[in-house]
Amino acid sequence: MATYQLNSSSDLIENPSPRCACMLVLDTSASMFGQPIRELNSGVQAFISAIKEDDMAACSVELGVITAGGKVTEQLPFTTAMNISQCRHFAASGLTPLGEAMELALDRLEERTAAYRKAGVAYYQPWLVVISDGVPTDQWQAVSARARSLAQQRKMVVMPVGVEEADLEALSAFSTRPAKRLDGLKFREFFLWLSASMSRVSASASTTEQVRLPPTDSWDSI
Amino acid sequence: MALRARVVTDSLGKTRRLGKRLERGGEGEIFALQERPDVIVKWYYPEVLKKRGDELHRKVEAMRELRDAHMTRDVCWPLIRVFDDKHRWIGFAMYRARGVRMGFLAHALLYQRYFPGLDRRQIVDYLIRFVEIVQQLHRAGVCIGDYNLNNIFCVPSTQEVTLIDCDSYQLRMGGTFYPCPVGSPDMTPKEHQGVAFRDIVRTPRSEAFSLAIVLFKCLMLGRHPYDIVGGDDPVRNLRRGNFAYGHGQRDVPQGAWYDLWRELPEPIRDLFVTTFTAGATAPSRRATLAQWHAALTTYRQQLEAGECPRELARPSAKPDSQVLHAR
Repeated sequence: MATYQLNSSSDLIENPSPRCACMLVLDTSASMFGQPIRELNSGVQAFISAIKEDDMAACSVELGVITAGGKVTEQLPFTTAMNISQCRHFAASGLTPLGEAMELALDRLEERTAAYRKAGVAYYQPWLVVISDGVPTDQWQAVSARARSLAQQRKMVVMPVGVEEADLEALSAFSTRPAKRLDGLKFREFFLWLSASMSRVSASASTTEQVRLPPTDSWDSI
Repeated sequence: MALRARVVTDSLGKTRRLGKRLERGGEGEIFALQERPDVIVKWYYPEVLKKRGDELHRKVEAMRELRDAHMTRDVCWPLIRVFDDKHRWIGFAMYRARGVRMGFLAHALLYQRYFPGLDRRQIVDYLIRFVEIVQQLHRAGVCIGDYNLNNIFCVPSTQEVTLIDCDSYQLRMGGTFYPCPVGSPDMTPKEHQGVAFRDIVRTPRSEAFSLAIVLFKCLMLGRHPYDIVGGDDPVRNLRRGNFAYGHGQRDVPQGAWYDLWRELPEPIRDLFVTTFTAGATAPSRRATLAQWHAALTTYRQQLEAGECPRELARPSAKPDSQVLHAR
């Protein structure tokens, strides 16, 4: 089932592309059971295929996935998109330890950017996307302050997305940008937007400037 | 977007139908022209036209006055003004560039797919052509300003190079100065860092710095001259003239990169070292386009005579090895 190709240790040495790390923190708690988790899974698959279709983005985007469903699981350690062969499907169960999942995500992002610096690889601002349909069921206030402060210093783009009855206020606390609400279960549209954004970032000649992102009207609701 | 009429007229009122949308850029969209596969149309977004349509129109008109036969072949220069169905100016038509973006050539993993059989001779041929085209623009008083490898097209297995996205170029016409309002810090010399791009006056010296980064990235298969092990981001290193490759290895990234560097002839390495160390702060120390042209031409002759290695590194040839060699 788990068929990720291992992150080759030589990847940071051989591939000269500036990197854009993108960490997905996904709520896979019991409330996502049924249609929502199916749509989420197919959205993640569509995201990976779309990135791989763009060679520049496939060499540049490094994807990591952490799920919060009962327990926190690191489903995919940071891997350059071109080296991801297949993605496992996530099952929905348990509570939503989103605080712990975000803590792990921030640690992994810091480790990864340190590895880039050590290998002499330039990088764009990393992205942290968090998607939830509820409220965190563990402690999340401290980690939300940590995430927001990184976003404020423009060291990271934190993008919270709420599904259905999600607590947008809690999700917004993780970032300097307000959480957006997904229109229905338009996970696929969201992930296609995310891949278009990643393509735009990786086509940019600049590792330090902000990139204008495509409009979000295909997936968000007011 | 789909509601937009896909019919345009030229300045004589002749109707032309647009074909497929080829590209969605930052300022507008590029369309094919039906029945003319060699011509494309740039249609600025309505919000761009609303905000600075008059300014763009004046600049594109000035560029059209400057055109000459050489320039329009090597650079996708605005040739024909284009109007919508209500006779409002919306952009221009130009020849379509052939080939592949230089960003795919300057990439250790991707060049093998886009430029099969590429060797150093071919890279140097493209770079000589590129320098010649920029020299031709400079003679006409035009500066590129926004150097970007994705705006340089190379036709595989030929020596053909074409530049695109030229409506951002800086020029002077009839006493009016048209700035280059875009750019990226990673390709911009120190004296222009931190200044709004539209307020910068590009000079032959600032152009020489950005051009040297393009040459370096191609000869080094995608490395930026200022990516450094344990160092800061490329822009901070650029501002400090912190160039790792100098004479002898200092903080060069791990892998085949130092081997690629060492295989360049000494005169080429010297021009890079001077441009990226002393030249980072002192524009007069930067190698000029004429110096690059001469050094690359000599390098080309040495490659032809078999005096320098022609082959390029194949970084993925030995997946288990941490140590890679350039040949």
